Amino acid sequence: MATGASAQFSFTNKASGAAVVQTDQVRAELLAWAPDGVEPGKPVWVGLQLAHVPEWHTYWKNSGDSGLPTVLEWTLPAGVSAGDIAWPTPKKIPIGTLANYGYENTVLLPVPLTVSPAFGASQLTVKLKAAWLICKKECIPQEGEFALQIPVKGSTASSSSEFAAAFAASPKPLAGSGSQIEVGPKSIQVALRGLPAAFQGKTLEFYPETGSVIEPAAPWQQAWQGAVWTAQVPLSAQRSESPRVMPLVLAFEKQAVRIETPVKGDWPAVAAAATVPPPLEAALKANAVLGAVPTGSSPAPLGLVAALLGALLGGMILNLMPCVFPVLAIKVVGFAQEKSQAARLAGGLAYTAGVLLSFIALGALLLGLRAAGEQLGWGFQLQSPAVVAALAVLFTLIGLNLAGLFEFGNFLPSRVATLQSKNPVLNAFLTGVLATAIASPCTAPFMGASLGFALGLPAAQALAIFAAIGLGMALPYLAASAVPAVARALPRPGAWMVTFRQLMAFPMFATVAWLVWVLGQQSGIDGAGALLALLVLLALVLWSLTLHGRTRTVAATLSIALGTIGVWAVGPNIIKPLEPAALAAATSGRWQAWEPGRVEQLTAQGQSVFVDFTAAWCVTCQYNKTTTLSNAEVLADIDAKNVALLRADWTRRDPAITAALAQLGRSGVPLYVIYKPGRAPVLLSEILSVEDVRAELAKL
Amino acid sequence: MSNPSFQGPVNRRFFSGALLAAPWALSLASPAFAAVAVGQDAPDFSATDTAGKTRKLSDYKGKLVVLEWTNPGCPFVQKHYSGNMQGLQKEFSGKGVIWLVINSTETGSGDYLAPAKLADWMRDKQAAATATLMDESGKIGQLYGARTTPHMYIVSPQGQLVYAGAIDSIPSGRVDDIKTATNYVRQGLSEALGGKAISMPTSRAYGCSIKYKA
Repeated sequence: MATGASAQFSFTNKASGAAVVQTDQVRAELLAWAPDGVEPGKPVWVGLQLAHVPEWHTYWKNSGDSGLPTVLEWTLPAGVSAGDIAWPTPKKIPIGTLANYGYENTVLLPVPLTVSPAFGASQLTVKLKAAWLICKKECIPQEGEFALQIPVKGSTASSSSEFAAAFAASPKPLAGSGSQIEVGPKSIQVALRGLPAAFQGKTLEFYPETGSVIEPAAPWQQAWQGAVWTAQVPLSAQRSESPRVMPLVLAFEKQAVRIETPVKGDWPAVAAAATVPPPLEAALKANAVLGAVPTGSSPAPLGLVAALLGALLGGMILNLMPCVFPVLAIKVVGFAQEKSQAARLAGGLAYTAGVLLSFIALGALLLGLRAAGEQLGWGFQLQSPAVVAALAVLFTLIGLNLAGLFEFGNFLPSRVATLQSKNPVLNAFLTGVLATAIASPCTAPFMGASLGFALGLPAAQALAIFAAIGLGMALPYLAASAVPAVARALPRPGAWMVTFRQLMAFPMFATVAWLVWVLGQQSGIDGAGALLALLVLLALVLWSLTLHGRTRTVAATLSIALGTIGVWAVGPNIIKPLEPAALAAATSGRWQAWEPGRVEQLTAQGQSVFVDFTAAWCVTCQYNKTTTLSNAEVLADIDAKNVALLRADWTRRDPAITAALAQLGRSGVPLYVIYKPGRAPVLLSEILSVEDVRAELAKL
Repeated sequence: MSNPSFQGPVNRRFFSGALLAAPWALSLASPAFAAVAVGQDAPDFSATDTAGKTRKLSDYKGKLVVLEWTNPGCPFVQKHYSGNMQGLQKEFSGKGVIWLVINSTETGSGDYLAPAKLADWMRDKQAAATATLMDESGKIGQLYGARTTPHMYIVSPQGQLVYAGAIDSIPSGRVDDIKTATNYVRQGLSEALGGKAISMPTSRAYGCSIKYKA
């Protein structure tokens, strides 16, 4: 609708010959009023009536900060000429911080026709080409062509009431002798005399016909000094007119007057534009000759080398993040089992390759999707309930395997099973892939900045950053596999390994518990319940497959059938997203839900704001939420400083939050930001300590 | 986690805070009308471009800089992106002029385009601007008193505002009018590049209102 389609279709009404143009925003009709016929000296008026759809408006002759006045171009027979539009008094239409002068509802723009004795036809054919800009918040330029036949003899008075209303709504010319405008450096001083008695002592509306002189939306003052009305109106800093006479329209209720007010004093000169000094001119010419377009790019906020180092360090720290711990467990078991140094190194290298390639693949995917215009960010894969459910299934499988419920060899085709056991290199590679899938949502401190940086870089450099993160994560294992001293420090294999393996099942199940909780945030209690039920059925199927003989056949058939029914019956609950209303209600207590513009709204009120960009699947976020952000001293400081608390929940895809993160140079959570009016936002460490938060709060 | 007993006091404090802040809100509203005048130093700003890169006006000191306010949803912007604007961008970036396109449309507006979408639109239109900057808060727009899209500014190599106003002399939504209009930006840039004072330092900008954050 806002694409600027202009209405150029017009049609003529049957016998009367009136023309109407109807668009989705306005009904425009050409009207005529000639009560005494079309004769020299008799009143003959035509006019365009605009009936606006509610909320839409067109403009006065001075449209204010934006907009365009309606333009009427007449085609008339010889001996008939059209005057100017007798503009009815407009109203001030504020648009945000700007203001326009225009019309809403129905307005008639009347134009007087002058008929000379030379005109001698029996019908007056009036043709009009009108162009108007109609706006709500969006604007649409429209045009229409109209035609009308007015009989010369007899009365054309069917639109009398419309014209009478338009004349009544038009300002009456007033001499206002002694009125003047005095020009000051920043404002004009208006003093008007001879205003109607009904205006005395009243607060008046003020409309200058000359555009681009004052600031229509700026606050201004008016006062009565006896019978003289005075006003101080701020000048536009970018004034483009310097009139000697300013026609002013003053209105009170339905009455309006127009005074052509002389301007006293000189308009402040627009400072002469600086010229380019000759050496620079020469340099510009040289540039032009070389054809070199200076990019003039700002220095990057973070050098590429620094970003790569940060990414490497961040990757190493990822190993200590809670969400990577289960994978760490797998790796420790793997190392403990491997005796040969060469095999260990091969495993280390394969693991590194797995991590590295997965990071590059994820990075490439993210960059590709971003290029495709998707509003995504890091950790996005866990914003999909299907992915969360699939990971829960995977971890249940791993957990049950570690706990000893089944061995992969029991039911995997023997060739795959031997591949698994006989090919530890592939195994290590796949562990690396898994580690990456799990680690990605935990943006460790250095990774946040590196990632934000990487997303704004050319693809090759961005991928190098992702690779550096992967390398950092794999590095400790690679070192252990390559340096015998590190490897020697590892415990010897033995019977303890079975116990250890069983113990390691619990981190797996803990991860499943977390994933179910994440899913609960996305799909609600029904989704989480369905997932748990299906996981139980999965365990049943696995167990039945470990049986032997006829028992196995019967049990497996039954449990697989049951599992299939389960998936069919409750599976859809898992991926069915929660209603937004239910989500919004989840934010309660002292925290308000973040929404676009909320921070600006609060800071505009002079309030400081703390924003917690978080997600259910982000463990670091949850840790910070239950520790630092629940700390009594921190909460007391927040109350003492009257800081508004906003929580932006990125558990599910939210383009507005992604955009807000991007604006802060980040692409993932956690992110903690303190806004203070009139100050750049302060970003806090992702490992949020009580001391850091209190120190920042103390600065407010 | 959610402690209902806190809700009452916090809300009350919030309310009285809003009351105390009321005079501030007024003074915060007024900078919109304290926009820079032609001949003054163009205020510096920092903004993120559609690629996520931070750009500062001061990075381009020593070069002529054009600031172009845009909003692809506005018919007047569409009018000039039928070729006119891109032509100007190409012509003058070839002469060492920096061209910054700024979008001050608030995120709540139906016309708002996220950075990636805006970048796509600029690419589709084969625009040749140095960078396209996001100004959803409207701070830069208010600083420069930008009202319409398009609204054009020229900053001299010395960092002074030397032109503020319309792109050309015929305020209309018709593409046909472009060829008969005097292009004030071309005129101003040509004069500045030739070392001359700009003969038309201000004009009345025309177009759609900028959808500023209220």
